[in-house]
Amino acid sequence: MTVTEPKRRRGILGLLALVFILAGLYFGLVKAPPDAYQGDVQRIMYLHIPSILTAYLSFFIVFVGSCLYLWKRERRDDILARSAAEIGVLFTALTIVEGSIWGRPTWGVWWTWDARLTLTAVLLMIFAGYLMLRSLIEDEERGAVAGAILGIIGFLDIPLIHMSVYWWRTLHQPPSILRPDKAPWENIHPAMLIALAVNFIAFLLLYFYLLSLRMRVGESEAKVQRAILEGAA
Amino acid sequence: MDGWGYVLLAYGIVWTALAIYWLNLRKRRSRAEAKLAEIESTGRAVTHG
Repeated sequence: MTVTEPKRRRGILGLLALVFILAGLYFGLVKAPPDAYQGDVQRIMYLHIPSILTAYLSFFIVFVGSCLYLWKRERRDDILARSAAEIGVLFTALTIVEGSIWGRPTWGVWWTWDARLTLTAVLLMIFAGYLMLRSLIEDEERGAVAGAILGIIGFLDIPLIHMSVYWWRTLHQPPSILRPDKAPWENIHPAMLIALAVNFIAFLLLYFYLLSLRMRVGESEAKVQRAILEGAA
Repeated sequence: MDGWGYVLLAYGIVWTALAIYWLNLRKRRSRAEAKLAEIESTGRAVTHG
């Protein structure tokens, strides 16, 4: 049995992701110093920030895939959008859980109806709704069109989430690293910046590995469905 | 719970959830590919029969 080229590439990507995940754990839990104010709880940020940035990327891919599907009506673009939506929902849910665990010792509450938190919960609801919609509509073509419209509308929540800390008085702090007045290395300890960067790379590699695997599932399921339909005709 | 307790809770939930999702994807892929292979072999059998 020969290993196909995409499968080999996916394997290499998965292996690279694993290496960076282990490095991220080392830098985040061992090498980085505790925060002067928050102590060790701040280490949750090495997961929280990469998780939400990966979720944003995922929903951007949903947006692009949805636009391409509405334009060209190619099945592959719909599979891309649907796969990215599923993984984006997972990363958004994890972001909320991590934020909640960090919030309990830092803010004194597991949850608060802060603008950024609420808009992130709305983002999760929109894309959980997207997945429900896709599973409820049996006609693939209709489901893909409805999903593409919802995917495009849902993505518009992300600029609102990003700007919420500037537009409203929120408990959630504004960006600590990517600030217009200072370079990233002037804001935090270099060891913390390295831990964050390594974890971000790990999340990106893992994300593209999972997306590739999820797309393979989608393509196989589409072939099965086509074969069944052709058999019934 | 001290600071490390919250850290380990967060890391534990995240990596467990991601590992479960990865295992689930592999299972879904195997199932879909097995079904496809079954359909293709049945189709071939019908064509040649």
